[in-house]
Amino acid sequence: MCDHTNKNIYLPYLATVEEVIDETPDVRTLKLVFQDEKVRDSFVFRAGQFGEYSAFGAGESTFCIASSPTRKGHIECCFRSVGRVTEELRRLEVGDTMGVRGPYGNSFPIEDFYGKNLVFVAGGIALPPLRTLIWNCLDLRDKFGDITIVYGARTESDLVYKRELQEWQERGDVRLVKTVDPGGNSPDWDGKVGFVPTVLEEAAPSAENSIALVCGPPIMIKFTLPVFERLGFTDEQVYTTLENRMKCGLGKCGRCNVGNVYVCKDGPVFTAKQVKAMPMEF
Amino acid sequence: MQKYISQHNLDTLLDTLIKRGIRVVAPRMNAGIPLYEPLGSSGEVVSDTLPRRSAKEAFFPVCEDIMSYKKEGQKVTITDIDPGRFPETVLFGVRPCDAAAIPVLDAVFSWDYKDEFFLERRKKTTIIGLACTAADDACFCTAVGLSPSASKGSDLFLTALEGGGYACDTCSEKGEALIANNQALFDGPSTSNPIPFAEPQTDTFDLTKVKAWLNDHFEDPLWDGIATRCVGCGACAFVCPACHCFDIVDEGTEKAGKRRKNWDACGFWKFTHHASGHNPRDLQPKRYRNRIMHKFKYYDDKFGQTLCTGCGRCVRICPVGIDIAAIVEEINKK
Repeated sequence: MCDHTNKNIYLPYLATVEEVIDETPDVRTLKLVFQDEKVRDSFVFRAGQFGEYSAFGAGESTFCIASSPTRKGHIECCFRSVGRVTEELRRLEVGDTMGVRGPYGNSFPIEDFYGKNLVFVAGGIALPPLRTLIWNCLDLRDKFGDITIVYGARTESDLVYKRELQEWQERGDVRLVKTVDPGGNSPDWDGKVGFVPTVLEEAAPSAENSIALVCGPPIMIKFTLPVFERLGFTDEQVYTTLENRMKCGLGKCGRCNVGNVYVCKDGPVFTAKQVKAMPMEF
Repeated sequence: MQKYISQHNLDTLLDTLIKRGIRVVAPRMNAGIPLYEPLGSSGEVVSDTLPRRSAKEAFFPVCEDIMSYKKEGQKVTITDIDPGRFPETVLFGVRPCDAAAIPVLDAVFSWDYKDEFFLERRKKTTIIGLACTAADDACFCTAVGLSPSASKGSDLFLTALEGGGYACDTCSEKGEALIANNQALFDGPSTSNPIPFAEPQTDTFDLTKVKAWLNDHFEDPLWDGIATRCVGCGACAFVCPACHCFDIVDEGTEKAGKRRKNWDACGFWKFTHHASGHNPRDLQPKRYRNRIMHKFKYYDDKFGQTLCTGCGRCVRICPVGIDIAAIVEEINKK
């Protein structure tokens, strides 16, 4: 999938920070352009794949590629500053250089979703792994049926991609249901108040000819999967992406496994059926 | 065909190789600790003791540079490591448990993405194995299907003979080439008997049965029982010939430095710790379970091999006396 021109599989591509966007007080998007023109053309990825992003001197961190493969010429990553590497990535300014390895892992089988209704469900910082697919689908809008997006965060300020939520809300061909946890709303909030699983159950998207795509913290996933069951979705109709700690991204360093499944190679995209067959180790 | 090499000729062989600029790595004493290290001369070899750490580090060093970086203003320059700098190596005096682990490691470093750091060194290294004539209570190679005279992983395999010298079996083209280049030092087969092999006093595990139990017992009281003692020091992984988990870290300053691949261990709390604070293996029993599962189930699921060669190092070094052989034996009896 990844055509490495380098023999050294650990060597990153260099990329320039083209734009810095603050999503929340501690979540930031970096828009990146590969410095090598050849890499700019050859770096082909699919929605769902991830990369290893480096701040030189601090190390590498694993995030999904948050932009859509349909938007050429750049990629985006989105991260919360919580550790050594992400603090350092946060210090990067427009024009600065960082490293990118990838694309790694499997991807959403988007071709299998043609002609179907899509229900996206995300919580907090877990929207980026679905946002790549959301835009991929919106850029091929006539290939899909109804598109529903249920997105929630603890507070209004914790919602990422606020400008895009606005855009999705205004589009006539997307049903956006946004929510914040009780107490997380301002007086002007025009969305729902409640936890994502509850809001999803109220929104009650039909399971008929539908695919559900869920990403969120483990606790949200735990309470969302039963809601889909009650709505009549089978485990084969529900997809999620797992995000265990990784270092190599190449199936070697040994830490991202859930049982005998390597998230970096066998995932990160799995169906609920696959996830339910895994031991509770994620 | 089997050959014979005298002790004197063997020493000459090692010294000749060193003189030709070939790196000869063999068990030698370093500050009182036997380790596989580059030799200055054949006289340094200690062949009567199992080195503290395994032979894997001839291919997979404890720490190694995988690139360097240099920052100037907004620009960064990265420099690749030239695999051409990995020296031609003869790895000598390797115990069967250590030699057998090397082809096991080939699987993980060569599937899909190829790790040139391991594989280039592998290409450039000839392994001379040595049969064991001594074993201690911790040795259990026979329990995992190997033996003190197993040549798996060796290019040439030496067996000490009564009356001195060694029988030398050729196990690969690399081994053949080494003999061809040094023919004068080898004679036809000897009629002497081998010095008796040291058979560890353990029962053989039924690895299929062990794996079948592991398949069904991700949750089991056994894990809590073993791992309440485990202090998570990671020593077992560091001395293991087959453990290969690693970390990737930047070491340097704001301006310049190196990116390195360092040994890591699944026994460490931080190994799987997410930035969010969530940790899928938050307790020591879960981490110890991963160690056993990886060795006797996951690696077999993926590569059809067991990630343990019965060297017994983890048993000897564990500060709280956890005995992997006893654990697998217990599973074997279930």
